[in-house]
This record gives sequence, structure tokens and C-alpha cells, in this order.
Amino acid sequence: MKDINTEIIPSKENDHVIEFAGYTFYTIYNTDSLKTDDIVFYDVIIIQAGDPEFTRHIITRIRGHFNPEHYLKPILLLNQSSLKDPYTNLLDGTLYSLEQIKLILPKLQNILLRIKDLTFSSSLSYEALIIQKVLSYMYSRDMEEMEPFVDFNSGIGYNYPILSVNFSRHEEHQVLNIINIMLEEKLMKKEFLDSVYLCTKCTTGYLSYREVCPKCNSSNATSQDIVHHFPCSYVGPIEDFKNQIDDALNCPKCNKTLRHIGVDYDKPSIINDCLSCGHRFQDFNVKAKCMTCKFDNEVEKLNKSSINALSVTKKGQIMSVSGYVTTSKDLQEIIGTVKMDTFRTMLKYEIERLKQTEGNSNLAVLHLKNSGEAYSTMDNELQRTMLKVLIKAIRKYLPTSSVITFYSSSTILIAINDLPLKIARRLTEEIITLMRELMETNFKNMIVTLEHEVKAVTVKLSSDLQIQQLVKDYI
Amino acid sequence: MDTIGEFISYLQALGPSKFLRVFWFFVIFEFFRYFLLDLVGLILHRVSIWTNRKRWKRAREEFKKENPLVSIIVPGKNEGKHIFKLVKSLSEQTYRNYELIIIDDGSDDNTPIICKSLLKNGLIDQFYRNEERGGKASAANLGLRFTKGKYIIHLDADCSYDNDAVEKIILPFYYDKDIGGVGGNVMVRNYKESLVTTLQAVEYFNSVGIGRIVTSQFGIYRIISGAFGAFRADVMDKIQGWDIGPGLDGDITVKIRKSGYKIHFAPEAVCLTSAPNTFKKLAKQRYRWDKSLIRFRLRKHKDILFPTQGFSIINFISFFENILYNLVLNFMWYFYFIDLIFNFPNLILHVILTNLFLYTSMGYIKLLIFGLFRKRTNAPNYYFIPYIPLMVLYFGYFLRFVRTRAYFMELFFKASYNDPWNPLKTSIHAKEKGL
Ligand SMILES: [Zn+2]
Ligand SMILES: [Zn+2]
Ligand SMILES: [Zn+2]
Repeated sequence: MKDINTEIIPSKENDHVIEFAGYTFYTIYNTDSLKTDDIVFYDVIIIQAGDPEFTRHIITRIRGHFNPEHYLKPILLLNQSSLKDPYTNLLDGTLYSLEQIKLILPKLQNILLRIKDLTFSSSLSYEALIIQKVLSYMYSRDMEEMEPFVDFNSGIGYNYPILSVNFSRHEEHQVLNIINIMLEEKLMKKEFLDSVYLCTKCTTGYLSYREVCPKCNSSNATSQDIVHHFPCSYVGPIEDFKNQIDDALNCPKCNKTLRHIGVDYDKPSIINDCLSCGHRFQDFNVKAKCMTCKFDNEVEKLNKSSINALSVTKKGQIMSVSGYVTTSKDLQEIIGTVKMDTFRTMLKYEIERLKQTEGNSNLAVLHLKNSGEAYSTMDNELQRTMLKVLIKAIRKYLPTSSVITFYSSSTILIAINDLPLKIARRLTEEIITLMRELMETNFKNMIVTLEHEVKAVTVKLSSDLQIQQLVKDYI
Repeated sequence: MDTIGEFISYLQALGPSKFLRVFWFFVIFEFFRYFLLDLVGLILHRVSIWTNRKRWKRAREEFKKENPLVSIIVPGKNEGKHIFKLVKSLSEQTYRNYELIIIDDGSDDNTPIICKSLLKNGLIDQFYRNEERGGKASAANLGLRFTKGKYIIHLDADCSYDNDAVEKIILPFYYDKDIGGVGGNVMVRNYKESLVTTLQAVEYFNSVGIGRIVTSQFGIYRIISGAFGAFRADVMDKIQGWDIGPGLDGDITVKIRKSGYKIHFAPEAVCLTSAPNTFKKLAKQRYRWDKSLIRFRLRKHKDILFPTQGFSIINFISFFENILYNLVLNFMWYFYFIDLIFNFPNLILHVILTNLFLYTSMGYIKLLIFGLFRKRTNAPNYYFIPYIPLMVLYFGYFLRFVRTRAYFMELFFKASYNDPWNPLKTSIHAKEKGL
């Protein structure tokens, strides 16, 4: 057993390394290279660099990595106060001297402990990978909420701490896609904060709005009043009424001097003259020029997106621990299954049908308890193949009228129609046996925990409620 | 039965001199002016087209070669619902080199929204809006100020046009360089809608379709309809556009005449308009129109009747004919009626029946003969056969009473200056200056 040091001790072999309380701290100086591959060997990273640019780069590199051993690593900043958002949000603490490590230690210990709870599996899609990352990071930091903040450098104008770091400015609109998936999958709840308008060409949000000539889009224009002289009905731009001698306005039609607005004349409108193309018009066009790609957007065509504050749901927390493998969209592509929405609708009709005829239909749920562990041993191609094989095998046991859907990557729902409950139970058990055999041959060292339940469909409850009751234990 | 027998024997007993004594009004008014003179005019018109056919051909060639820009201006208030149809009807025009300018005179409905979207989609070339209504003349003048064309066409938004109408209304400018304005042929589109629209169709057929060919032929054509008129841009510049209405169509025609230009009627440039569909609406419209005879002929432009500087005999005749047949004879009719009551009290019924018979027969003769002179019709002639007898009541009584009231009100009370057709801010000035 190793001694647990209670003093902060610089390592003898490596001047980058400090040992304290049984943890190793790795210091990065701004004279170092930008490579951060070595950090996996240490528990905590301390950045000690006078150069904010360098610091930002290092933070982005670590937090933007796709390996949890990198992106979850606790990072502390030493002796640098000039660093601003969004980077300070990606840090676990700021120190003014190494002594302060003692103060921050409980927090670091907590993070490192929580990381141990997490299961990581290789995800079926890029979106799923990012979602897993967000969920794990938030779990490890015990964060329940993620609030975006205004960021001049963000492509969409708002930065979501652990999410935005994965994208370059040009692809930052992807952040909103990921958030939408998380909301659809009910991993997060949202609270509206703001709306942003994004360029139709490059989807960034740094736009310059201005009034332009409707013909040539130039904003170089002059405006003047239109004057109506009542006695003679002459109407024209005010320039028609001006003379070179004095400031009086004289009517070009009847030569009278205009006296009193509202009495002998008025100004019913204005007119604009484009100095670029000579076009004369009353209404400017409003255009939004993209400061990133220079595209001049029609204001009506801009993409409007909501910016929401997010908070993790119960499902999100469970998924972060068990490993988030795949989005529903990924699973929809597995042959032999239907979308969850379709499944719901079909069940609704089945209930209606049962009201008319006196048949029996059943709803079965199959749940793989340690799916995260199972998935983590496979790359995403293998996962997909495994799921396909599994569904194909299950289908063989079932009458063709049955419908299969993925409730999540670890939970399968089956509607077994027009069979007595007893037979449905038997079929389900046979499927479980089959699945267990399949899993055990594929994952030799794993103990497979499969759970299942079968219920008869009742006409008394709604389809949604029946699904909910069935899966409530297996999120 | 007895009355009819008596009536027939009465007719048989009438000698020419007695006929004239009793039916002089019919003879001067209907037979001489609106049948014989019209017939002569129509024949002369035909002859003139034939003898000048080469000149017309040259005009067509020159027009085609020059292909001038024509500016179409459409002023109006709350006309949004008509604008799209108008734009579509214009897009069918055989003549392509035109710009379309819409002027919204303070609409309080969705007109600006409709027009702005049409402008954005390039279906109209210019659109101007006055937030504050200024009246029709000011709206037309605003449009005029921004025209770029060599010729100006003034349209009403609720009308539609034959697809060669623009071409046909511009052509006369190439036929005679002294022509300053050309009027289009306005026909009633909704002639089937109600009795009153049918009667108006017959009336337009006579007074516009035929009447204007004749007055144009004699050089005394005096009103270019606001619904469809074309003007030379340089002439419009000279006369500085429209003056305050109501009756600005007639007014601008006089102004063009006064500045020495001819006015021409183009019967083949056809425009269809929606006539008022109830007697009440019609009475209101005519009450407004008829007042302008007093206001413009007898007041604003009375100088035409006197041998002052710039006196023109043709303009004098144009005015004189107008005043004689519309104003004087209108009041003469009452005189005629009193004459009958006092001098032929026993024959009143016979005279009325005979008049009815005479006017109706004349109506049928005109329908038949003048029908031969009509090239383009909006309705088959036979459609109107059952309605001809009613024209006596419509024209002889209904319109006469409306006209009498209008003349009376304008002569003694200057009623037109209070017409809500113009915003008050402008009427005040018109009244003050007697415009
Ligand atoms: Zn003036
Ligand atoms: Zn321009
Ligand atoms: Zn852009």
C-alpha cells in the first residue's frame, strides 16, 4: 500500500508532476507543446500559463477530446485571472497558489469518485457520442443544469459549456441539433431563454441588419419628404418646391409659397433615392448580412432557433451512468422494427379494435440491464449488426402481426396481437432464452441480466399510459 | 280599347307642322342631335378611316418602330382587391413596353400589403403610398411626378382591359401630332347583373361608344374617362397634371384643349367597368358627375365661352354643344312639359304615349343602325331588345331628375365643394378659389 502524502510534494523525476493526498497533479506550462496525450496518466491537470491564448487552447483540446479519459479530467488554473468565459466554465477551479489545492481537494475527490460510476460505450452515432459526453461530464461535476451564455465568439451567439467546445465556429449550429435530440429523447428539460436568427448559408448568428434599396441592395440612399400642395393638387418631392434664393418652399405648379403645414400643404409620405442605382422607392428592404460568410440574408428567410437553459432529467441521469449508446433515430434504422411513434399509434388502433371485437392482445417489454457494459465492448458497426441479428431472431418466434420497437437502446417493446396472454408469455420467455444464449456466446466474460414482463392490453387505459406502466422500471 | 283607337286616329290626323309643334322636343333633342347628327358623324368617321387608311398605316409603323415607354398610373383608395386582377389583365397586353405605377391614397385596408408584395415580386414597377389621403388628383399627380414614359395612361383599378387596349389607345398620337389626349371606350362589364346595369350598358353604348366617335369626329369630344385615358407626357408637364376634382376627367380634357391640343376618342381601345348596380348608387354617381358641368364649364373654364385671348372656335363649340344639350335642353324639357299642359291639356295622355312610342322606335332604330358601326361589343345587341322601351323612363325621367338636382345644387349651393370624395383639407381651397 502506497503512502498517502499530506504535503504537496514536487515529484523528483518529473518537474511537471506534484503529488498530494494520493493523487498526481500534472502541470502544463506555456512553454510546453500543445500535445496533451500524456494527461491520461495523471489525476488532475493544473495549467500554469501566463498566456491566455495558450490556456484556451489547452482547455479546448482536453474538453473537446472524444475520449472520456481526456474530457472528464479535472482541470485547475493557476495564477491567471484574465481568462473569461466560456473557458472558465470548463475549469474545476482557479488557484492563486499551489497551497489552495488543499481547499479544493474535496471537490476534486468527488469528481474523481463520480467518474467511477460512469459506464462508457462506443456510441452508434456521432450525436449519441456527444450526448454521452455531455451527460457524463455533467454527472461527474454533479451539474443538473446547463445554462448557455452570450458569447461573441460563438457561431450562434450563445455558448453551451461542454457542448459548444466540440464544434468549430462554423459548425456550431450542430449544438442546437444535439440539444433537440436530447429534448426529444427526454434526457433534458428546457426553459426558454432567447431566440437567435442564423444565416441561411453558414448558420452562424453574427448578422448585420440594415435598410437597403429593394433593387440593388445598396444601403447608400437619401430620403426626402413628399409634399402635397392642396390648392392645386401638386404632389412631389420637397426638392421640387425649393429655390436657390431663400428657404421658402414655392409650388412649381401654381408658384404660391407654402405657408402652413396642414392648412395649405402637408407631407403625406417620404421617398428614398438609391445613390447606387438611382432607384426611387418608399419602402426599404431590411437585410441581414452575415459577418461570417458575407451572405446577405432576406430577413424573413433567416432560421430562427430557440436558446434554452437545460436541466438533466431522471432518464438523463440514469443514461449517464449506464452509458448512452444511441439516439432513437439510430435505432429506427434497424430493419424489422418500427418507430416509437408508429408503435404508439398502432397500439392506439389495436385498443380501438379490441373495443369492437373480443380478442386478446399483449404488450411485452424486454430489458437488458447492463447494456452499457455490453455496448462498450463493441464498436458501432458491431452494435448495429448485433441489433439486426437479434431482431431477426426475435421475429422468427413471433407471429407476423407482432410489432417491435426500441424504447431505448436497452429496452425493446413488442406488441403481440391476437394471442392469449399465456401464449404471449411463453413466446416472450423463449425469446429471453434465445437472447441470453446469443449474448453469452458473444460476450464470454459478461453476466447477462435480462428482465422482461408481459401484460394483456386493456381497453380501459390509453395506449400511452399502458406503455408507461410497462417501462417505468426500465428507463 | 277606346283610348287606343282614339290614339291611332290622333296619330293619323297629325300633319307635319302640328307634329313639330307638339313634338319639337323629340325632334331637336333625340331625332336631330342624337340620331341624325350621330349618323352623319358615324358615316364621316367611316369615310375618314377609309380615306386616311395610309396615314393610319404609317402611324402604326412609326409607333411600332419607336416602341415608346408608356407609364400606366393607377391611383386609388382601398383598391387592393382589384390590383392583382388588374396586374394580370395588363400582363396580357400585346404592348409590352410599359411601367406600372400604383398610388395608394391613404387606404385603411390591406391595400398597402398587397401592393408591396406585388412590388417585391416585380409585378408592379413603382408603388407609392400616402399615409394621409389627399384626394384622387393628388394621388394621380404623385404617380405622374415619377413617370418615365413618353405617354401616360390613367386607369381605374376596378376596370379590366382588352389585351390590345394599350396599343390602341397610344396609336392616335402617331396619327396626328396635335393630339394631346386620347380617351378609351368604356363598356359595362356587369350588364347582366341587374336592370340598372343593363340600362347603363345601353346608355354607354349610345353616349360613349357612339357619342364619342361622333364628337371626336367633329372635334368637340370633351371628356376622357378616368377609367381609361392616355396623355402625352410633355403635354401633362405643360398643364401640370390634374387639378382638384370631382370631375377631374372633364377638367383635364379642357386643360389640354385650352393649351392647343386635340382630343381623340379611340373606340377600339376597350375597357370594361363595373357600373353601379342599384338605382340609388347610380343616382349618387351621376349626382357627382353632373355637378361638374356647372363647376367646370360655367365657372372654372367659362373663359372658353368668351372671345378672350386664345379663343378657339372649336373649343367654344364643344362647350356650347355641351351646355346646350345637357344644361339648356334639360331645363327646356320642363318648359316643354308646361307648354303641353297649358296648350294641349286634352292631349296630354296622347302626347305622352306618342313620345314613348317615338323614343322607343328611335331606340330600336339606333340599336339596329348604330349596331352596324360597332366593331367590338361586350354584349350581343339582341340582349338589349326587351329593355329599349324602359330607356325612355331611365334616360328621360330618372337621369333627368338626378341631373336637374345636380345642376340646381351646384348652381346655387356649389355642392361639389362639399363632396366627401375629396378630403376637406383640399376642398376648402378649391371652394375659396372657385376652382
Ligand atoms: Zn400649388
Ligand atoms: Zn439601388
Ligand atoms: Zn453566413
